[in-house]
Amino acid sequence: MTNSKPKYKLTDQDFNQINRRSLFGFQLGWNYEKMQNSGYLYTILPQLRKIYGDDTPELREMMKTHMQFFNTSNFFNTIITGLDLAVEENEGIEGKDTVTGIKVGLMGSFAAIGDSIFASLIPTIFGALAASMATQGNPIGVIIWVAACLLICVFRWKQLRFAYGKGVSLVTDMRDQLNALTDSATVLGVFMVGALVATMVNIKFAWVPQIGKVTMNIQNNLDMIIPKLLPAAVVGFVYWMLGKKGMTSTKAIFIVLILCVILGGLGIVTKI
Amino acid sequence: MAWWQILLLTLYAGLEILDELQVYSALNTPVGAGLIAGIIMGDLPTGLFIGASMQLTVLGIGTFGGASKIDATTGTVLATAFSTTVKGMSPQTAISSIAVPVAAIMIELDILARFANTYFSHRIDHLIDQDKINYKAVERNVLYGAIPWSLSRAVPVFIALAFGRGLVQTIANALNGDLLWLGNGLAVAGATLPAVGFAVLLRYLPVKKHAAYLILGFTVTTLFSVLFSSIQALGTGLSQVNKGFTSIFNGLPMLAIAMLGLALAILHYKSIPLTKGAAQTTENQSNNANSDSDDEGEITDDEL
Repeated sequence: MTNSKPKYKLTDQDFNQINRRSLFGFQLGWNYEKMQNSGYLYTILPQLRKIYGDDTPELREMMKTHMQFFNTSNFFNTIITGLDLAVEENEGIEGKDTVTGIKVGLMGSFAAIGDSIFASLIPTIFGALAASMATQGNPIGVIIWVAACLLICVFRWKQLRFAYGKGVSLVTDMRDQLNALTDSATVLGVFMVGALVATMVNIKFAWVPQIGKVTMNIQNNLDMIIPKLLPAAVVGFVYWMLGKKGMTSTKAIFIVLILCVILGGLGIVTKI
Repeated sequence: MAWWQILLLTLYAGLEILDELQVYSALNTPVGAGLIAGIIMGDLPTGLFIGASMQLTVLGIGTFGGASKIDATTGTVLATAFSTTVKGMSPQTAISSIAVPVAAIMIELDILARFANTYFSHRIDHLIDQDKINYKAVERNVLYGAIPWSLSRAVPVFIALAFGRGLVQTIANALNGDLLWLGNGLAVAGATLPAVGFAVLLRYLPVKKHAAYLILGFTVTTLFSVLFSSIQALGTGLSQVNKGFTSIFNGLPMLAIAMLGLALAILHYKSIPLTKGAAQTTENQSNNANSDSDDEGEITDDEL
């Protein structure tokens, strides 16, 4: 107890072990109550044991600390781990409050950045590419996406060491870069959504009403204004609908499904 | 459907969720599921088509770990399996009559898996309170979490594939017979559903800020796609009239459109002023900051 400053210094093997555990085990224990708590402990447990020594009260205390609620992006979790271990390695149990502060303070912002990049932007850009090739029976797009994911894994592997070395100043250093990067990626994302609306919603008006002796080809009239107006209108309609209170994406899917069955069943709209 | 196809699809369903939670290789995505299910069922184009449509339907719907979301991957697996083995079940109809309902029902099983894992978390809490902590047991109880996750996908897929075929055949017969209007409607729905994914995505993206790029993407692509498909139609017509006409015209390459978007994104990135130098960094950190921005630059290129 008197000698509370730990003497252990993390080695390359330690970093590799943490990365392995993070990449293959971090979210297995995900649960409703405390989310990634057990996963976080799992990734660093061997290192905690080395830092504090087995069966010490310090180790028990820190294990309990790390079993508290934790939830962040699983693409950025090792950045927090790296900052955490840099503190624990130097200050030991005395750094407990700092560690809790780092974890609680950063998990929210990394969750937000991680989700916007890896749950929205990357799937939009690569998913759009893969899907548009796949509709023509071409699997190359999927393979490009897989290759991109492997590259991302390389960065996930490297960021632990990077964060550990840089310390807490990393977060302020990175913020501007990440924001600029995210903002530019959204430009590509928005552009691609526009492109997808124009190519991937394959429906048109089939209804050709007779007004007196004149047949009105609605689709052809619309095409003269701008092609693909109907797909754009459908997306606009769903976008508006999603702004309503209590609307979820799952509900929206079923509303569109039912409307399509009605309009398609009546022969007003047809697939191309 | 052969027994080994059922086995492989079940195995894939059990593994893909672990992939999604951990490595994220993109083979866990709907379009990845389409590729794999297509290969297993021996009908790659059908698998890819269904996977692509489901991918686009859920394009904007994605949170990691946080909330349960519609499970389009499992939906794709079942829709592909049945579309390729059940007579009269077209890919489009399979999307709206199988993939979407299955994906929605799977939300409940996802919730169940997340609840089940609470049990293991409590066991770990209990283990830490013991006089002598069994570290291996702590680690084991984290890894046990894989079991509820895996089973939540593998079990329903197995049951559906092993026992669902008769039911799906009955549905397919009805949709092509008495309920033809419903079949047509479902096919339209299958073609329209990607619109939902786009709309959800637009809700998450800063549309108002980047409206110009949305309009640009839509208009450029619309014009080119009409041009390309018109030329294709023209070429097909000409080659039928004149045997000497053998030129082949391809459809609009989406990668080229994406390159245009990438160029715009790069221009946008360059126009953002970085205030890094002006920050309160001290003399030796500014050194690091330089090497930093190089590292970040690499990430930029690779991620896009």
